[in-house]
Amino acid sequence: MQKLIQILWPSFLVAGVVEAIFFTVINPSELYFFGSPVRFDAITTYSIGFFAFWLICAASSLTTIYFQRTANEINHPETKS
Amino acid sequence: MNSTAPSTQPVTPPPPPEQDSLYAVRQKVYVRAVTGLFANWRWALVWITQILFYGLPWLSWNGRQAVLLHLVERKFYIFGWVFWPQDVFFLAILLIISAYSLFFFTAIAGRLWCGYACPQTVYTEIFMWVEQKIEGDRNKRMKLDKSPMSPRKFAIKAAKYGSWAAISIWTGFTFVSYFSPLSDLLRSVQTLSFGPWELFWILFYGGFTYLFAGVMREQVCKYMCPYARFQSVMFDPDTLVITYDEARGEPRGARKKGVEPKSVSKGDCVDCGICVQVCPTGIDIRDGLQYECIGCAACIDACDQVMDKMEYPRGLIRYSTENAIKKGWGTKEVVAHVFRPRTLIYGFVLVVLSLAFVWGLASREPLRVDVMRDRSSLAREVEGGMIENVYELQIMNMTEQPRTFVFGARGIDGIAIEGDKRLQVDAAGMRSVTLKVRAPYDPDKVGATEVFFEVYPEDKPSLKLSEKTTFLFPR
Repeated sequence: MQKLIQILWPSFLVAGVVEAIFFTVINPSELYFFGSPVRFDAITTYSIGFFAFWLICAASSLTTIYFQRTANEINHPETKS
Repeated sequence: MNSTAPSTQPVTPPPPPEQDSLYAVRQKVYVRAVTGLFANWRWALVWITQILFYGLPWLSWNGRQAVLLHLVERKFYIFGWVFWPQDVFFLAILLIISAYSLFFFTAIAGRLWCGYACPQTVYTEIFMWVEQKIEGDRNKRMKLDKSPMSPRKFAIKAAKYGSWAAISIWTGFTFVSYFSPLSDLLRSVQTLSFGPWELFWILFYGGFTYLFAGVMREQVCKYMCPYARFQSVMFDPDTLVITYDEARGEPRGARKKGVEPKSVSKGDCVDCGICVQVCPTGIDIRDGLQYECIGCAACIDACDQVMDKMEYPRGLIRYSTENAIKKGWGTKEVVAHVFRPRTLIYGFVLVVLSLAFVWGLASREPLRVDVMRDRSSLAREVEGGMIENVYELQIMNMTEQPRTFVFGARGIDGIAIEGDKRLQVDAAGMRSVTLKVRAPYDPDKVGATEVFFEVYPEDKPSLKLSEKTTFLFPR
């Protein structure tokens, strides 16, 4: 549970900032998805965009947590509480 | 070398400090209600911020919602202003002003934001008030939670969770109404046909309000808030923080009312523990400044009441500074130290930025012009030895009245725009027009020559904007 929050919460904060900056600069109706213009309405594009950013940031947090394990945790996974 | 170190170093590292303190192992904090000066301030802030938050979407201005950050139209309506994505500069300045205000107030008196104005504090305050009204005071709540499930307990809990859910949904609805017009949302309520995402975000925001203010409370401040982690860099020995006067209070201990502390060789602290009971984060302020302390001053109110009862002077727990406690300063010296280089610099930057912001708003021109040369059609020769270039002229009308704009070109002798030189643009609208511009061929100017498009509203020619572009003469 703790690890899950450590992944999801910082990525949520950063995704919010990225979302605001990205869509301030880029108009959702000017986006292309595999070569064809995005036809969703703006709220849908914003929402999908937010979750995409969240997912990407979460992947980064997940990698951080993954590399943060100590040698002891890797050598003796069974002793981990 | 290491002669002082103990000779028997443990071979295995000691067990890690308890790792599961987040969320899992947590002692529920039963916060005792408190009244007094600072509680009144907190409630005043609850009222001010929430009347603003819940009320603003219902205000009208010029026949539209007064404050609407219209994401679909990509326009922010704030009373008389209409902001476009091109105005992101103002948002950036506003964010910097907010950051500096935070630095400024934190340097002066610690976590004022956390204690009085943060939404986490405000909603927790509201939710705790509901809890208090439905479940009763601290002792009743603890007894209720210990008691086995019964129809009475179920009814009480259901009433509490139901009220919380109602507040949360209303909060989520209000939040979404800042981004999606309230009139549309109200229509959706009547017909029960929300857009899927609008409904989602109402529930998302409402759900997190419920979770943060009802369930997680102090844990949000302790584990999730980024500000709590770096606030200490803004503190210095002259920052006013909530302080227990250890020299005056210790040694603590119980005694009868009105007993002179010296006569029983004790300090002023009667060790009643009420300062701990009222603390929303469940800490003991008598242990000194701790990062968990959100500066709500509930313990000050609580302790002052006890001091009044004991007929001791107030302020055993009070706003004071590290230096004041160490050097025994009075109020006058503490106030004098509010003005120090750090706060003066923060204050100066704050004033300069605010003036720049106001000046920027006041001198913002309600018109924006963009000219692009049409790249698909190159310069071509037309009848009469003229050269023709094609442009796309885009005019944004940032006022709330439809306006007619007049435009012209200059920069080359004999340059002229073909066709109509006027364009009507809707209120807060944007229109573009394709322009054919002709100029007499001039062999000296082969290549690109600078030209200007001039645009002004018909009803206000003084507001003239010039936009630079290039005119091509072919070889």
